[in-house]
Amino acid sequence: MVIINKVHVVTIIFLMIGVILNLIPLPDLLAATKPPILLLILIYWSLAFPKHISLTYAFVSGVIIDILLITPIGYHALCFTVTIYLILIYYPQMRLQSSWNKMVSLLIILIPYFLMSTAVNNILGISFNLMHVTFSILISIIIWPGLFNVLRFIRQKYTS
Amino acid sequence: MKSDLHFKESNITFLKLFVFLILSIFFLYLDKDLEYGNKVRNNISYLVQPVYNLANFPSKLSDNIQTFFKNKNDLIEENKILKKKIQIQSGIIQKIPSLTEENNRLKKLLDSSTSVNSSKILLAELIRVNLSPFSNKIIINKGRDKNLYIGQTVIDSTGILGQISEINQTFSVVTLITDPGHALLGVNTRTKKRIVISGTGDNRKLKAMYIALNEDVVEGDSLITSGLDNVFPEGYLIGKISKIKKDMNQDFLDVSVVPSSALSSNREVMVLW
Repeated sequence: MVIINKVHVVTIIFLMIGVILNLIPLPDLLAATKPPILLLILIYWSLAFPKHISLTYAFVSGVIIDILLITPIGYHALCFTVTIYLILIYYPQMRLQSSWNKMVSLLIILIPYFLMSTAVNNILGISFNLMHVTFSILISIIIWPGLFNVLRFIRQKYTS
Repeated sequence: MKSDLHFKESNITFLKLFVFLILSIFFLYLDKDLEYGNKVRNNISYLVQPVYNLANFPSKLSDNIQTFFKNKNDLIEENKILKKKIQIQSGIIQKIPSLTEENNRLKKLLDSSTSVNSSKILLAELIRVNLSPFSNKIIINKGRDKNLYIGQTVIDSTGILGQISEINQTFSVVTLITDPGHALLGVNTRTKKRIVISGTGDNRKLKAMYIALNEDVVEGDSLITSGLDNVFPEGYLIGKISKIKKDMNQDFLDVSVVPSSALSSNREVMVLW
């Protein structure tokens, strides 16, 4: 029970850090192609603890990021929920994969996320650049192994 | 037994997914014009503000470090240049009262109404946070405590930026003129023709709409606000026409405009009354 509490606390702290990282200003070119860092952190924790960190976390953090980024409420909540559901289906396979293989799996999981966000963009009339979206996916995949190792190090240190 | 448990759990997950999907689509439907989001942000602005400040901290820190390590000689040099600039500009300003008087007199001769110039300017600093890459909004650090109101004009030193679309206690949100949902009525300074200018979503480009194929526009024409949209005061610079594409199969010309203000890369902006 204590360990589970620890998991929740550490996850919440990291999601907060993710929110801040999501908001930190970047140079113009990078800002357009920034990876969804909060989602990546969420994916890591739900891969590690799929029983505890699941859809509720995804939905709530989506709503929080919607409020902060001044997007219509529900936009990120919808996309995050679907992505984490995919993780919940896919985590038994994904955990066993090698680092390279995991990057490919992440691509498979992120493509529906971006398709979904572009679909919502289209419905709500928000403009977007497909080039930037593609680069955003690529950057997320490139930074994934590093992020994964950092977060795993922290998980092993604080939640066991 | 075990498989049964597993089945139950996945059922619960699926139910959760369903509930959250319905909820978020319902929220999206309610909040498609950002109305409810505004209310939520208004009510918890004391929570939102620290998060923005925290995200803004690194860029502020780097600014501070840069000013700290600035060379004294450089500063003296900069000071000299700035003083010279002020001198020149105040020299130009000297003529303005007489020019306005003359303008008013001439307008009276023509029997047209005199325009009222705005008098008060408030400097506001940008809270630099990285909003969604698809949004054309900025956040400034003045809010209800400085008596701003919705629809107020925001400019920088080189042109018009946008209008205030949301006011919270200590910060407000400015929708830039490049927002795809934003349009304003400008005037071509050369021909005095009115032109509707709308945003494209790209911060380096605006679009002039509904210009007939035979109308007199050339690249390099500068556009100013007309004051006819009851939002922006008259006479502020919007941008320059950069490219005109003429396609005989279309009803209108395809005209792009480069905004004159530095839009998202500003540090400080001015709010007009």
